[in-house]
Amino acid sequence: MTLGTAARRGAIPAAVLVVLLVLPALLGATSLLDIQSAIALALFACATNLLVGYGGLVSFGQAAFYGTGAYTVALMWMHWQTSFWLGFAAAPFVGAIAALLVGLVALRTRRLYFALLTLAFSQLFYVIALQQEKFTGGANGVFGEILPGFLNGMNNAYYFTLGVVVVALLALWWITRSPFGMTLRAIRENRERAEALGVNVFGHQLLAFVFAGVFCALAGTLAVVHDSSANPNILNWTESGYPVFMAVIGGQYLFLGPVVGAFIYEQGRDIVLANSNDYQLVFGLLLLAVVLFAPDGVLGMVVRAGQWLGRRRGGSPLSPRDGDDVASDDRAGSETTVALR
Amino acid sequence: MREAFAFARLRGRGRCSAFAVALATVCVLAGCGGSSGGDATASTGGGTVNVGVASTLSGTFAALGVPGLNGIKLAINQINHSGGLLGHKLHLVTADDQIDPSTGATVTRNLILNHHVQVLFGSVSSAVALAQAQLAERYNVPLFLHMANDIGLTTTHFSKQIYEISTNTDMEPAAAALAFVKFFGKGPVRIATITPDYSFGLDTVSAFLHDLKKDGVTYTVTTQQTPQLGATSYTSNISAVLSSNPQFVFVGEYGGDLVTLTKQGIGLGLFSKAKVGGMYGWDVVKAVGRQMPAGVMAWNRGAFWAEPSTAMSAFVTAYKSAYGAYPDEWSINGYDAAEIWAEGVKKAGSFDASKIADALGGASVPTPRGSITIRACDHQAEVTEDTGIVASSVNPTYGVPLWSKTYAPPVKQIIEPCSVP
Amino acid sequence: MTLSSDIVTMLAAMTEASYLFIAAAGLTLVFGAMRIINIAHGSFYMYGALILTSVVGGVAGGRFWLGLLAAPLALVGIGAGVEIGVLRRIYKRDHLVQLVATYALFLIFADIALHVWGSQPRSVNPPSPLDGSVVIGSGKFPSYDLFAIGAAVVVGAALWALLQRTALGWRIRAAAEDPEILAVSGTNVPLLSTSVFMIGAALAGFAGALAAPLESVAPGLDATIVVSAFIVAVIGGLGSVVGAALAAIIISLFDTVGVIWVPQWSSAFIYIAMIAVLALRPWGLLGVAER
Repeated sequence: MTLGTAARRGAIPAAVLVVLLVLPALLGATSLLDIQSAIALALFACATNLLVGYGGLVSFGQAAFYGTGAYTVALMWMHWQTSFWLGFAAAPFVGAIAALLVGLVALRTRRLYFALLTLAFSQLFYVIALQQEKFTGGANGVFGEILPGFLNGMNNAYYFTLGVVVVALLALWWITRSPFGMTLRAIRENRERAEALGVNVFGHQLLAFVFAGVFCALAGTLAVVHDSSANPNILNWTESGYPVFMAVIGGQYLFLGPVVGAFIYEQGRDIVLANSNDYQLVFGLLLLAVVLFAPDGVLGMVVRAGQWLGRRRGGSPLSPRDGDDVASDDRAGSETTVALR
Repeated sequence: MREAFAFARLRGRGRCSAFAVALATVCVLAGCGGSSGGDATASTGGGTVNVGVASTLSGTFAALGVPGLNGIKLAINQINHSGGLLGHKLHLVTADDQIDPSTGATVTRNLILNHHVQVLFGSVSSAVALAQAQLAERYNVPLFLHMANDIGLTTTHFSKQIYEISTNTDMEPAAAALAFVKFFGKGPVRIATITPDYSFGLDTVSAFLHDLKKDGVTYTVTTQQTPQLGATSYTSNISAVLSSNPQFVFVGEYGGDLVTLTKQGIGLGLFSKAKVGGMYGWDVVKAVGRQMPAGVMAWNRGAFWAEPSTAMSAFVTAYKSAYGAYPDEWSINGYDAAEIWAEGVKKAGSFDASKIADALGGASVPTPRGSITIRACDHQAEVTEDTGIVASSVNPTYGVPLWSKTYAPPVKQIIEPCSVP
Repeated sequence: MTLSSDIVTMLAAMTEASYLFIAAAGLTLVFGAMRIINIAHGSFYMYGALILTSVVGGVAGGRFWLGLLAAPLALVGIGAGVEIGVLRRIYKRDHLVQLVATYALFLIFADIALHVWGSQPRSVNPPSPLDGSVVIGSGKFPSYDLFAIGAAVVVGAALWALLQRTALGWRIRAAAEDPEILAVSGTNVPLLSTSVFMIGAALAGFAGALAAPLESVAPGLDATIVVSAFIVAVIGGLGSVVGAALAAIIISLFDTVGVIWVPQWSSAFIYIAMIAVLALRPWGLLGVAER
């Protein structure tokens, strides 16, 4: 791609970043905390989407690594009184080890078996956190002065979260555009063909699983920054579903789709929770509407609308596709592919 | 309007995928800013004071959360009926915490900052209550706990904004241990336990065994079962308990789980082979119905039939006419919590949290359960459990077997000395 | 432990296996013929149990049988509505979309149930002839549980006959093996899908109704049962009814023996079992590798 298109492509995310940077001056405490939470969840969703969107590996167990990150920080603090920073630095490594071990078993299976096996792992982590009360704090989790003084300031915590997520998303973006990321996509499109070409499919998928584990664990540490606690709920299978749903809502075939999904999900949830007790009904209807009427997610729909407007106005054709968009796989319906290519 | 502005500005710029990101993000952010602003104006005017309840209103634990809410609602309605509190009408704002600490924190913060509630009534779950306690402390709002009862809430995580209206996880098993001595003596006895793999259950069973020893009971433990919370089948656990041949089975399950365990236990002969003790409150006995086995040792945090008084029967009548059902322990504790808060406001002459804390610390408040004192040092209500032995015949008024013997262990014997750090 | 208490323990395990099997059979049948994992299957189970409690009301006895019939029939209607209204639109889409759609339905059904039936646990007693216990040596065992085990055997046999001996069964098996050939052979595939989904929903509803006297029926039952049913279906091999039966029995026995030996790990058993089986046999015990 040319320098010009690169600049244009970067312009809007940069503009959004600027908005996010000045937000603390504009918003009250609750709204800022909600945005902070959405930013952290955006990383969780994007990391999960490395598997779901790019790898075609529907994992319903990413909460295991998200929770591993949170518990690494909280348990190191509880048992060895280590500082938050040490736990924060250790969490991605612990997440990587956990993902390696789970991935070695889970990636032996495929498709729905993989989804349900990762779910079982997530549940296993959950019941261990509940039952091994002496070590994990049981159902009540770990509460206390986990955070250093610096992160108790609301704006500091916000900027810290934003900084970590921006750096992590850049790293993830780089991974998806690397030869490794391309191969991962090729495997998703046609596994047999990749195998025939001599690609080590298992190895690539395992590495993707480990990467996802690392970034999910990192997102988990940010959950501790937000909640100043860790509790077993963040390991439950329903928690594993959220990043997948965020990816679907935002659009799992665009790198930033899960980010949009995370914001819609988190902000929408707050609005619904604040105004009604029928959260499940509203969220269920929203999910159903997206699945039925916006097959490539909200962001995908917006992109398509933009393309349509562009064509109508007779403007210049879209910049050539250069790998920023993830192509949909053959099962996802040909319309999606047309729209995003 | 902010959305429209953002849309217009961005549409002029470019037509790449990033454009869409910015648009969506800005819309979402702007939408959120708009809504929280709107709430703030709606809730403060008109001489009403907002009362917040953030509790578990969906899922399995709604069976506890909803009756608790009903108790609070009844108290608030009665207060409004008799002219309000300090001249203000009370307006109830409820939120569902989905028994998740993170969701609980979100909805609680929303109640405090956007609905400006002057008081909070908390969750079923202690994990959620711990998250709520941090917020109550930070924003200086009194938090009344009528269900969550982890000992940490009044000790390691103590805050002067927290009021524990129920017996805590130390007092409840201490009361059960005293009842055991009262009804079954000091052994020697073989005991098996079944408790959920949840902090509440695990803490309760270890405290109960510890207290039995302290009360001079000689016992051996034959097996300790910890089924999953919300399990649909306890038959394997019951079989394991029966094959360990115990004389007494301590059951730490509650609500719907206790109903399931009881029904499956009846079929497998659990109740005929051993004495069983558990939290058999009105909700559980009602659900098990006429099958409820005789001779079971029951304890719970409020049994209306065990405490006959005019205040209690007036409450039961009012509750029955409001909801068409009898109150269970959760409704009674919820009602008491609201009454205690209202009394604190009256004594303080203000809704200010610090003034209420000063007024309520050490004060005694009349409630259907009798006069309840709020201990000054840690805001633990000096309450006890109702315990009894389930009768062999069905009570004609209520259609289920109630208790043949009752015993309320003295508060002084179950409450531990204050240990606020 | 005596022989009679061993027998009672094993029978208790079979009771658990009975309704797990019926629920998982519906799930696996739908997967086999339609390649859909239906999370709302848990909702169907809970609705079956709730409908039974509504039909029985406060009356013990005769109306139980009516409820046991009404629950699966009502679910046939709900199942048809879901298949025609939602699922038919997303057959061509990937598994993820279908999972999300059925999860959305699961949430919607949960909220509707809360409004219709409330949050309090509901409970029914077994009908009068099955209300007691049978004595086995020095132990006793509930008559209703024996009935539930018998019902599971009958349902299993009926399903086997349906799949092996009827034209519909032939088509279901053909759909599981190669949907394209079936379409070419002139079968009305949408009608087949609707029928299979209705049968699956009815099985879930029947399982819920059958299990109602054994448990308290309350919100949250849907989530608990759907995870268990998934695990049974996956261990057995998605699409295999016989596998589901085998897995239900194995899981229940594993659970029963496990809680005696290592009770502190009991709630982790089911997940460990699933991980162990799939690590050794990635397509489940009797599943067929997907192409």
